[in-house]
Amino acid sequence: MRFGGTLDIAAPRDRVWAFLTDPRQVTACAPDLQSLDLADPTHFKVVVRAGVGPIKGVFAMNVEFTDLREPEHAGVLARGQAPGSAVEMRNTMDLAAHDGRTTMHWASDVVISGMIASVGARLMQGAADKITQQVFSCIKTKLEASG
Amino acid sequence: MAVEIGGIGQSVKRKEDARFIRGRGNYVDDLKLPGMLYMDIARSPYAHARIKSIDTSKALAIPGVLAVITGKDLVPLKLAWMPTLMSDKQMVLPTDTVLYQAQEVAAVVATERYIAADGVAAIEVDYEPLPVVVDPIKALQPGATIVREDREQKDNHIWHWEVGDKAGTDKAFKDADVVVKQDIYIPRIHVSSIETCGMVASFDKVEGKLTVWMTTQAPHAIRTVIALVAGHLGLSEERIRVISPDIGGGFGGKVPVYPGYVLAIGASVLTGHPVKWIEDRSENIQADSFARDYHITAELAAKKDGTMQALRVKTIADHGAFDAAANPSKYPAGLFHIITGSYPFAKSFVEVDGAYTNKPPGGIAYRCSFRVTEAAFTIERLVDVLAHEIKKDPAELRLQNFIPPQAFPYKSSLGWEYDSGNYAGALKLAMDKIGYPELRKEQIEKRKKGELMGIGISSFTEIVGAGPSKHFDILGIKMFDSCEIRVHPTGKAMVRLGVKSQGQGHETTFAQIVAEELGLPVGDIAVEEGDTDTAPYGLGTYASRSTPVAGGATAIAARKIREKAKLIAAHLLEASPDDIEWKNYKFQVKGVPAKSKTMQEIAFAAYTNHPQGMEAGLEAVDYYDPPNLTFPFGSYICVVDIDRGTGEVKIRRFVAVDDCGTIINPMIVEGQIHGGLTMGLAPALYEQINYDENGNIQGGSFMDYLLPTAMETPSWETAKTTTPSPHHPIGAKGVGESATVGAPAAIANAVVDALAHLGVRHIDIPITPWKVQQILKAKGVAE
Repeated sequence: MRFGGTLDIAAPRDRVWAFLTDPRQVTACAPDLQSLDLADPTHFKVVVRAGVGPIKGVFAMNVEFTDLREPEHAGVLARGQAPGSAVEMRNTMDLAAHDGRTTMHWASDVVISGMIASVGARLMQGAADKITQQVFSCIKTKLEASG
Repeated sequence: MAVEIGGIGQSVKRKEDARFIRGRGNYVDDLKLPGMLYMDIARSPYAHARIKSIDTSKALAIPGVLAVITGKDLVPLKLAWMPTLMSDKQMVLPTDTVLYQAQEVAAVVATERYIAADGVAAIEVDYEPLPVVVDPIKALQPGATIVREDREQKDNHIWHWEVGDKAGTDKAFKDADVVVKQDIYIPRIHVSSIETCGMVASFDKVEGKLTVWMTTQAPHAIRTVIALVAGHLGLSEERIRVISPDIGGGFGGKVPVYPGYVLAIGASVLTGHPVKWIEDRSENIQADSFARDYHITAELAAKKDGTMQALRVKTIADHGAFDAAANPSKYPAGLFHIITGSYPFAKSFVEVDGAYTNKPPGGIAYRCSFRVTEAAFTIERLVDVLAHEIKKDPAELRLQNFIPPQAFPYKSSLGWEYDSGNYAGALKLAMDKIGYPELRKEQIEKRKKGELMGIGISSFTEIVGAGPSKHFDILGIKMFDSCEIRVHPTGKAMVRLGVKSQGQGHETTFAQIVAEELGLPVGDIAVEEGDTDTAPYGLGTYASRSTPVAGGATAIAARKIREKAKLIAAHLLEASPDDIEWKNYKFQVKGVPAKSKTMQEIAFAAYTNHPQGMEAGLEAVDYYDPPNLTFPFGSYICVVDIDRGTGEVKIRRFVAVDDCGTIINPMIVEGQIHGGLTMGLAPALYEQINYDENGNIQGGSFMDYLLPTAMETPSWETAKTTTPSPHHPIGAKGVGESATVGAPAAIANAVVDALAHLGVRHIDIPITPWKVQQILKAKGVAE
């Protein structure tokens, strides 16, 4: 599944960049965060609880920042599992600055396997949209509030 | 008299129903043994992945979890792989790579079922996903991802199989007036029996004896397989007892050996405790062997007037990651070459290529005698395509071409010898019952008004009752079957057979055969199956073989008893055996009805007053090796109406005329046909297992895999003709699968017929409302 979109944030690009590439800050917006374990500045392990409708799982995700080109482009590879299910996400973010605001273009390629994919396939798009919205509105709120 | 005996042809009420309708059946999951442990299985979320590591420490830390078994644990025991029934091998647990989603990865043994499940959730597996191939056609192309790296042959081709006269067939096609060609996909479906698979394994370390209660359609073969696969671990066949208790539906899905069975046995041997393993519904529908999945290209050559001349069929068979189909060894594509059906093709040629894909094993014979459903659907669909091409009524085209009754025994161009048949008789009866000419008139009227109505015919011929030992074996064991009858001193009988009922009513029908042959009331005859310590050896129940094979054994064993009984009767009546005749279920002195002995009197004498020099007792056993298969047939006609708004297909009427030879119990036969028709309706309109490009199953629960319920099922109308099998001891052919085999084509043909005037020639099953609506929209007739 491919997702993508544009987000306008009333905050300067440098701060948006700093927020999005700091595991501690950005994971605060992850759905139902259970734990965060930093290995090094670009590798971390995060445990989140997510799912589709009644089928929820605790996902242990290994996350890696790839292709960091400050302050305009970042790639994120996240791969993880819940019992009976597995997920792999390849994300990109491109940041454009204008008049002290930032426009973020993002794209996400998600491959889900196992129970959630097979039982929840028909509900997946809706669930993914909902999670995405929550994550981005959290990012926007936090960045704009701290300005 | 006949009614009291309850012999052949009587609608005797099913003896087994007394316990079933009271909820007193005895299924594997009902069993509880002292000290019993529970097993659950961790399964792969990926369709293809390398296992980098398995961390079982968190699972083992859960109180109540006693053991976790992984592939590495099985390697030193030489149990990481097991042989399949088709000369392939299958992983019990993987050591480095998983090949399909829901494949078994580890087993957890715990004191409670829920603790076992918690243990499964706590197992951490580090997978590295690998490229996935789910389409067998792509799998056979060069450069495709290789599913089975363990094989020396580095591609996904399993085998090529062909039968018939290729050159002759090609020539017939070249010379033909008319050739029709149709691609037909028969999708992957699942048997979805009410009871899932399961086992209780109990290993007695002191005695070295293993007892297993399991959901198997073939307990004796399983015992031998266990001895062969685990013999090196000290399991010896005389100390292995396999018990199939009551089974809640098999339909072929309970023939294979699944890894869970092997693991439950291993867990019991390891712990010294009884271990219970019962699949949940999702495991059953996602991981147990599937059926069908045939990609077929079929061609028919005919004269201008519709006379059929030649048939040419090319098929790609998707077997998933392991070739674990349960076919007779000699026939990797089963009995698919019954595809000439009810028609006398002078030339025909069939070829099938098996392919591996990243899916669970396929190819089980879902309520059909090894690929007969695929064959019957293809030929009956193809005949309609020809009818459409030459603008001939499909009933008329069939009647013009049928193998005539006087041609039996009929040798088909693909090598079978059909025993008996009267195909025109069955179709004409079905046409009378449904009012065929009136329906065609109605259809013309409806079309004028823009309404969509279709009439579909399927005049199928089956091939069942495997089979003669000359050609049929599974793992080398010949496909005979057996019956042992003991008549007790008080004239009651115990009958044991090598087959195993899964709901077919064996306790009644086999008692009826004995009742008929021995003159004992059916209520005095107990039938027992499924315990390898007591029943004679047999290959089990599938492929409609119980009545053709074990039914033959039953009649012959009873006749052996009757031969001995005759000698005792002569002794008791003080007459020469030559002067004794069997009449009205009694022995009498020829022409002197007053001087007679009942079987009860003879049974008592066999133990109290038998002739000197004769062995005491009244028992017999027969291992029956059938001289040929049997060929049940029928003609089904289906009438459908299509909703131009929703695309929904509504079955207005469905008439099923079946001919299964001699009928033992008409009520049971009708029940079999009703159930079979519903199981034929299912793939025609509803059921399909799909996979996405990553190998995720789409349809892994009853939310997405639609089984027809009473709401979807029409009112079936049944009728019969009776053409006994000339070679079977009582003339019976078997009926358990006829309707499943015959029904899908009738329904599909009806839907296509409803749309034929719009130029529609074929729709792949299942014909869902969405598919129909797309066609209606494309043709501009959607409402």
